[in-house]
Amino acid sequence: MKDLIKQGLRLGSIFGVVIIFLILFGLTSTLSDILGEFVNLESRTRTGNPGGLMILFALLSLWAGSSASASDRSNWKSALVSGVSVSLIIGLFVAAFILLVGFLDSADVEMRDYLAQLDHLSVQFLLYGRSLIAGVLITFGIFLIFGILGALLAYWYEAKQAGEVIQKQVLVLKEKALDSKLAKQYKENPRSKWIGYGLLGLVVFITPQFLGKYWNYAMGTVGIYVLMGLGLNIVVGLAGLLDLGYVAFFAIGAYTAGLLTAPAPLPLQIGFWPVLIFSIVMAAFAGILLGIPVLRMRGDYLAIVTLGFGEIIRVLIRSDMLAPYVGGPQGIRDIAGPSLFGIAFSGKAYLYLIIIAILLIILFTNYLQNSKVGRAWMAMREDETVAQAMGINTLYYKLMAFATGAAFAGLGGALFAARNQYTGPADHTLMVSINVLSLLIVGGMGSIPGVIVGAFVLKGLPEILRELDLYRLLVFGGLLVFMMIIRPEGIWPAPRRRMELHEGELDVLPPEESLVGKEG
Amino acid sequence: MSILETRNVTKRFGGLSAVDNVTLQIPEGSIYSIIGPNGAGKTTLYNCITGFYPADEGDMLFNGKSLMGLSPDRITRLGISRTYQNIRLFPAMTALENILVGAHPQLKSNYVDAFLHTPRQRAEEKKALEDAQDLLNFVGLKGKGDLFARGLPYGEQRRLEMARALANKPKIILLDEPTAGMNPNESVTMMRFIQSLRDELGITILLIEHDMKVEMGISEFIYVLDFGQLIAKGTPGEIQKNPQVIESYLGRGAA
Repeated sequence: MKDLIKQGLRLGSIFGVVIIFLILFGLTSTLSDILGEFVNLESRTRTGNPGGLMILFALLSLWAGSSASASDRSNWKSALVSGVSVSLIIGLFVAAFILLVGFLDSADVEMRDYLAQLDHLSVQFLLYGRSLIAGVLITFGIFLIFGILGALLAYWYEAKQAGEVIQKQVLVLKEKALDSKLAKQYKENPRSKWIGYGLLGLVVFITPQFLGKYWNYAMGTVGIYVLMGLGLNIVVGLAGLLDLGYVAFFAIGAYTAGLLTAPAPLPLQIGFWPVLIFSIVMAAFAGILLGIPVLRMRGDYLAIVTLGFGEIIRVLIRSDMLAPYVGGPQGIRDIAGPSLFGIAFSGKAYLYLIIIAILLIILFTNYLQNSKVGRAWMAMREDETVAQAMGINTLYYKLMAFATGAAFAGLGGALFAARNQYTGPADHTLMVSINVLSLLIVGGMGSIPGVIVGAFVLKGLPEILRELDLYRLLVFGGLLVFMMIIRPEGIWPAPRRRMELHEGELDVLPPEESLVGKEG
Repeated sequence: MSILETRNVTKRFGGLSAVDNVTLQIPEGSIYSIIGPNGAGKTTLYNCITGFYPADEGDMLFNGKSLMGLSPDRITRLGISRTYQNIRLFPAMTALENILVGAHPQLKSNYVDAFLHTPRQRAEEKKALEDAQDLLNFVGLKGKGDLFARGLPYGEQRRLEMARALANKPKIILLDEPTAGMNPNESVTMMRFIQSLRDELGITILLIEHDMKVEMGISEFIYVLDFGQLIAKGTPGEIQKNPQVIESYLGRGAA
C-alpha cells in the first residue's frame, strides 16, 4: 500500500511539473484550441478555448490515473489508492500554480517580463474566465475526478481481460488474413505483386487531383526531398559514406538549371529539358570531382570534409566576387519552368513531373541495389578492407556512389529551381543536408519505402502541424526524439538494418526479398 | 613451375621486422603450409602477398608476374583468394550475398548495365546466383542462403568464408588458420574439405596453421617461420624431427 502511494506521488509530481511547463510554454492554449474545435466549443477568451482546456486536463489526468494503476491492478482498492494519490498530487501542483499566478495577476504584478506567456488574458483563460477561487477549484476537481476515473477504468478494463481478448482477436484476424485465399494467391502469383504496384500507382496519380494549391506545393517539396533522400540513401545507406555536404549537389543542380535558363545574370535562356539533363550531369561530375581527393578518407573525416564542401558551395554562390556570374545573395530570378508542346507545367502538372522523376529514380535505385554494384556498396559499408580483398575496386565504387547520389540531388535541385522559378543561397543551407540525412534516419536507412515515409514525416508533418503554430517545431523535435528511442531503425527500415539493431530477433531475410527463390 | 613465389620479402614496422627476408616457392596444384608460433609473422606475410601491406624489400611473383605495387583488389582479380584468422564475413549480408560479393571479379557487367538492368546483366546475374547456390551446397550450407552471415554458427561461418573465397574462382587460396576454434573432429573434417578443393577443383592451397598436428596430415611441404624469419622448410616428416623447430615451439632445452 505504501509503495502504491509512493509511486502515485512520484508519478503525480512528474505529471504536475510537466503540465506546469506546458502552461508556461503556452502549449496548453494551442492544444485546448484544437480540442475545443474538435468538439465544437466556442472560444470565450482570445488566448484559448476554456472548454478545450478542461478536456485537455481531463485527458491528461485520465492518462496519469491509468498509468499510475499499472503497477497493481489486481483489485479495485489498490487501483483506487494509486488513482487518488496520483490525481491528488497533480491537482495540488497545477491548482497551486494557477492559484499563484491568478493571485499575482489580481495584484497587478507584471509577470510577462519573466514569463512571456503569462499575460492577463492567459491567466483569465487558465481560470476559465471565472473567479480565482472557482477556477482553481474546477482545475483541482477535474484532476481529482478524472485521475481516479482513469485508474478505475484501467482496472475495469484489465479485470474484464478485455485487453487480452482483443489482442487474441487481432491475432486470429491476422492469421485469417494471411491464410485467406487472396493472400495465398498474392503470395503464389508474382503477377499480383504488379497489380498491387498498379493500384498504388493509381492512388499516387489520382491524389494530386484532390489537393489544393497549397498542398500541391507542399507535396512537391516532399517529392523533391524524396529525390534527394533516394540519392543520399545510396551514399550513406548503401555505401556507408557519411556525406554532410549533400546540399552542395542540390545547389549545383539548382544553379545549373537557373543560370542556363534565366535571363540574368547570364543571358543564355536555354530550354528546360536539355538543361535538366545537363544539371544532372554537372552534379554527377561535381560528385566525382569532390570524390577523387576525398574518398580516401573514412568515416568521420569524410563527414567533416563533405560538410566543408557544402559550406564552400554556399559561400561561393553567396559571394559578391561571383555575383556577376551566379547572382550573389539575391540569387537567380525568372528561371524557366518546363513546358511540353507549348503548354507550361505548373501546379498539378509539375507535381506529376516530380512524381515521374521519383518513380524513375526508384526504378534505377532498385536495379542498382540488386546488382553487383549494390552488393559492392553494401560490402564496402560492412567491411571496406575485406571488400577490397574480394576484388572490389573500392575507390571506383565509392566514386560511383558519390556520383549517383549527386546526380539524384542535381535532378532534385533543377526541379526545385524550375518550380520556384527562383533559387538563391538561402535555399542551400546546411539545414538541407541535415534534413535529408534526418529523413533517412527517421524513415529507415537503406530502404526505399523508408525514404518516402521519412520525407513525408520530415517535410510533410511540419505542414500538418502548422495548426500548432509556433510550437510545431518543438512538437516535431519531441516526436523525432521519441521515435528514435522507440524505433531506432526507422519507420520502414530495410530488413538487414532492423536485424542489426535487434539482435537475435530476425536473422533471415523476409521471403519477398529472398534470393534463393529467384534462382532458376 | 611455382604458381606463387616470394623472394627475400621483408616487412618492417618501425624497428621490428615482422617478415624478414622470406623466400617461398609454392608449386601449382600443391598443398603447402606455413607454421610458426604466435607473432611469427605468418599473417603479415599473407597481408604482403595480398597487397594490404606494401613489402619493404624483395619481390613477389604470381605465375611469374610481379605483385609488387598492385592494389589488393587487382591481386584478388589475378586469382588469389584468402580467408581470415578471425572470420571476416559481411555480417549484415546473407550467406548467398556474401558469396555473390566473392564472385564480384567474375561478373563482367558494368555500372551502366546495372543501372539500366540490361538483358546481359540479368542473364549474368541469374547465372551468378545459380553458381553461388551451388557453392553454398558444396560447403554444406544448403538451404541457408537467406540467413544473415552473423546469425550462422561458428563452423558454418568458416565454411561460408571459404565459399566466398572460392566464388572468385581462384588459382590459389591462402587460408589463415582454417581450423582455429574447432575441436579435433571438426578439424579433420575441415582438412578433408581443404584437400578436396585441391583434388576436385585443382586449386593450389597455402595454409597457415598454429597447431602442428593438423598440418602434418595434408601438407606436402612446410615452411616454418619464427620471429619473421624462415627457420626451416621440408616435408612434414623432416620438420617433425628438426631440432630448431622443436625449440621454437617448446622453448630452448626441449630438444
